[in-house]
Amino acid sequence: MFKHACRLAFSRLAISGLAILCVAPARAAPVTLQFWTIEKPNQVTQSYALAKEFEAKNPDIHIEIKHVDFADVSNDTMRAIATGAGPDLVTIDNPEVALFAAHNALADLSPLIAQSKVIDPKRFFPGPLASVTWKGHVFGLPRGSNTLVLYINDDAFKAAGLDPAQPPATWDALREDARKLTDPAKGVYGLAFSAIGDEEGTFQFLPWVQSAGGDYDKISGPAGVAALTFWQSLIDEKLASHDTLIRAQSDAFQTFVNGNAAMAISGPWELSGPISTAKFAWSTALLPVQKPGGTHASALGEHAFVILHNSAHPAEAFRFLEYVYSQEGRDWNEFGMLPSIRIDNPAAPQHPQAYATFIEEMKYARVRGPNPHWSVISKAIQAAFQSALTHQAQPAAALKDAQAIIDPALQGDN
Amino acid sequence: MILPSVRRRRIDGGIGLVLAAIYLFPLYWMYATALKSPAEIFRNPPTFWPHTLHITFGRVFVEHAMAHYLWNSALIAAGTTVLTVLLGTGAAYVLARHRNRWVDAALFLVLLLQALPPSLLVTPIFVAFNQLGLLATPRFAVVLAQTGKMVPLFIVLCRASFAQVPRELEDAARMDGASRPMAFLLIMVPLARNGILVSAILVFLQSMGEYVYSRSLISSDALQTASVGLRGFLGTNTTDWGGIMSYSAIFVTPILIVFALLQTRIIGGLTAGALK
Amino acid sequence: MKLAHQRPMFDIAMLGVPLVFLVLICAVPVVYTVVMSFQSVDMFTIMSLRRPFVGLHNYMALFARPGARHIFLNTALFTILSVSAQLVLGFALALFFNRRFPGAATLRGVFLAGWIMPGLVVGGIWKWIFAGDNGVLNAVLAGLHLTRSHPFWLSDPALSLYAVIVANIWLGIPFNMILLSVGLAAVPADVYEAAKMDGAGPVRTFLFITLPMMRATIAAVASLGVIFTLQQYDLISGLTEGGPSNSSNVAQYWSWQLSFQVYEIGQGSALAVLMLAFTAAVAGFYVWSTRQEQAA
Repeated sequence: MFKHACRLAFSRLAISGLAILCVAPARAAPVTLQFWTIEKPNQVTQSYALAKEFEAKNPDIHIEIKHVDFADVSNDTMRAIATGAGPDLVTIDNPEVALFAAHNALADLSPLIAQSKVIDPKRFFPGPLASVTWKGHVFGLPRGSNTLVLYINDDAFKAAGLDPAQPPATWDALREDARKLTDPAKGVYGLAFSAIGDEEGTFQFLPWVQSAGGDYDKISGPAGVAALTFWQSLIDEKLASHDTLIRAQSDAFQTFVNGNAAMAISGPWELSGPISTAKFAWSTALLPVQKPGGTHASALGEHAFVILHNSAHPAEAFRFLEYVYSQEGRDWNEFGMLPSIRIDNPAAPQHPQAYATFIEEMKYARVRGPNPHWSVISKAIQAAFQSALTHQAQPAAALKDAQAIIDPALQGDN
Repeated sequence: MILPSVRRRRIDGGIGLVLAAIYLFPLYWMYATALKSPAEIFRNPPTFWPHTLHITFGRVFVEHAMAHYLWNSALIAAGTTVLTVLLGTGAAYVLARHRNRWVDAALFLVLLLQALPPSLLVTPIFVAFNQLGLLATPRFAVVLAQTGKMVPLFIVLCRASFAQVPRELEDAARMDGASRPMAFLLIMVPLARNGILVSAILVFLQSMGEYVYSRSLISSDALQTASVGLRGFLGTNTTDWGGIMSYSAIFVTPILIVFALLQTRIIGGLTAGALK
Repeated sequence: MKLAHQRPMFDIAMLGVPLVFLVLICAVPVVYTVVMSFQSVDMFTIMSLRRPFVGLHNYMALFARPGARHIFLNTALFTILSVSAQLVLGFALALFFNRRFPGAATLRGVFLAGWIMPGLVVGGIWKWIFAGDNGVLNAVLAGLHLTRSHPFWLSDPALSLYAVIVANIWLGIPFNMILLSVGLAAVPADVYEAAKMDGAGPVRTFLFITLPMMRATIAAVASLGVIFTLQQYDLISGLTEGGPSNSSNVAQYWSWQLSFQVYEIGQGSALAVLMLAFTAAVAGFYVWSTRQEQAA
């Protein structure tokens, strides 16, 4: 009798459209959530670990995880949305959130967050929150954050007569130190970074533009030209390998780990992997600024959890997001990411010096976009820096071409 | 007379070895890299053979669940080969036997439909297969799509073999009262068997490495293939080149061995003019 | 021929079933691509065919793209150089291994390794060989004192296309070699013996006996080579992703980039349709060459 009444009440709720907010774990029918992630099952990674823990705590929800390659996740998700065969939950790269949101492909989380007893939007760092916000509504939950810093080979610094405690703070200092550290006879470059023609290259390039006072929307301005001219000088002077143009960030970083580059620009993901095999002392520093006292800037990266608009189980999926949010304190030590929210009493962080650098750098980390045409904008920027670095065009001309592609995208369905 | 000929053969053998060695260098490099320690892999300049052996085949095989990946690859390749041979043999025969506008048009169509790489065809195929419910049996879906890619290749390869079979043999069988299907199955197919076999093996080997269709049509990891497993390994934030090369080596070595065992017979038979 | 004409049903069935299959699997996507090339499409509307018709706009936008001319030129170079080198090297190897010496058959088989290697794996290995700083190719060249500085095979825009071509030639040699070997085996031995009797040397025999007898096979192998080369996607994706700055980009990869990286599916489809038109010409040449084979 009681059960029956409950069911009745429950279905009423469902009819009134409030079922989404109704959390009745013991009585709801078992639900299976389809979840796509870029992480791989054979690693100790956030998606798999948290899903397993969540399932243990919520026996009424089963999470079926599928690994999708980093490069394919946006395409696969779009195709799945178009054919109605999509997952409930998926992680997509944060600059892509706007595209999906603009096409009404994502569930609007704002009302759910407003009701949530777990998620407090005020605790988010502004950058990560902005990266999942489109037209004032929140469409995703950052699964963590990352940003770029300068990694330094302390031993190489000392050998070159430099003080690793005084890392280069400006572009000129960086170039000057790189010159001292570069040793072609030993196959050592001063700096390793990535100028590859994909999103990773854009990710690495924009902080330099922003530090000089520009951004993606005015890429052809003096800041863009200054940043690109600076990058060009690094390659032309052979302070960084010419293969920088085709190396992904982790490939470039590997040359640093092997001692073939004395400095490297990369993110926190390196800390959980390759750096452990480095046979030298290392430290981290903020990215250099253009001029003394200049603006700090860095990139803001990481995927965000989103719930697809056509999910049949948004309430259950949101419960999982609440769990993810509640575990952000573990991001650094366990998952190789920075937390996206302020952690009140953090556990003792591993690599404390690097942690301090990254937390400081997060203050300057900027969102790419948001713009539903981000992929077009980003491709134009990549084309510009690649053609200037290969001397097929002058920086100013290359960036002007990029601006001509970016301008219509900015006016699009913004 | 005998001595110079023996010498010539030895010299030819020597040149053959050198040519094969040059051609196989990339393969050697895969094995050498697989056996090096991470530090040695990135050494500059590179070492030509592993100084310290760092054998990770077992770890890679287990950690990357290669057993089931390889099984799925083999299953898809076998299915594709069977279907391709069934569909393609008759077509190759007809296209070799006749010469008229319709046959020309069919041959043209078969090739034209090959124009686009799978990376461009896969989205419409995904949409269509999804509508037809074929994605519920994803490995079969890949077999269908991959067969579409392999049938034209098979037809083109086999057509040449059928063209070499003297028409008189078939006509003689028909005179003796054999029906068309009987003449085809009992006379033509056995005479062209070497061509069919070689083409089938090439189709099988090509399909073992199929990537684009498997990646897009198979969503469950348990049904996924070895090439997709490798791609996941190659993806962002991995620089485990030793592991990648170990994976590649595990992937291709069994195929290489089976092939090395079979090829002397097949290609030897084929090129020694067994048809004459 | 007469007998065949009495019962065409058998031939129609044998040819018809696979053709229907191919049309269902391949023609539907091809037609779909042609339709999309005249429409305004994004990833979210791939399901319905009712999309705004834009005429030739996608084609014009495609040609107006910076780098379009460059990529078309690259595609021509990639195809011509790959196919001709594969053909010449494949033919040379086929001729060499056609000589009888111990181990000839085994060694010939070894070359098929290239054929069975998945494109992704080949891309990975060659990327590793071509690496500018610690790649083995540069180490070998430096060891032989052939180069003074490190050429950056994959990141120097003057070299990257050729690096990709070299890897593609490597992949294509086995296919050419095997088909040409089969063709060589079909040349009757008595023809060679007759030539020998007439006192023809190896060069004359090759020019006046082998080449003419192989004409149809060569034409067939070349046109198939073009068609397969235009499908090469895995290798480019594994080696350079078309970069740097499009220097190694070719039509088939660009089409994929347009459709799936910047979501300009209409333009990506337009490019695919152009490739289709070109393949039609090559397929026509192939069909013509098989006619010659009949005549020979």
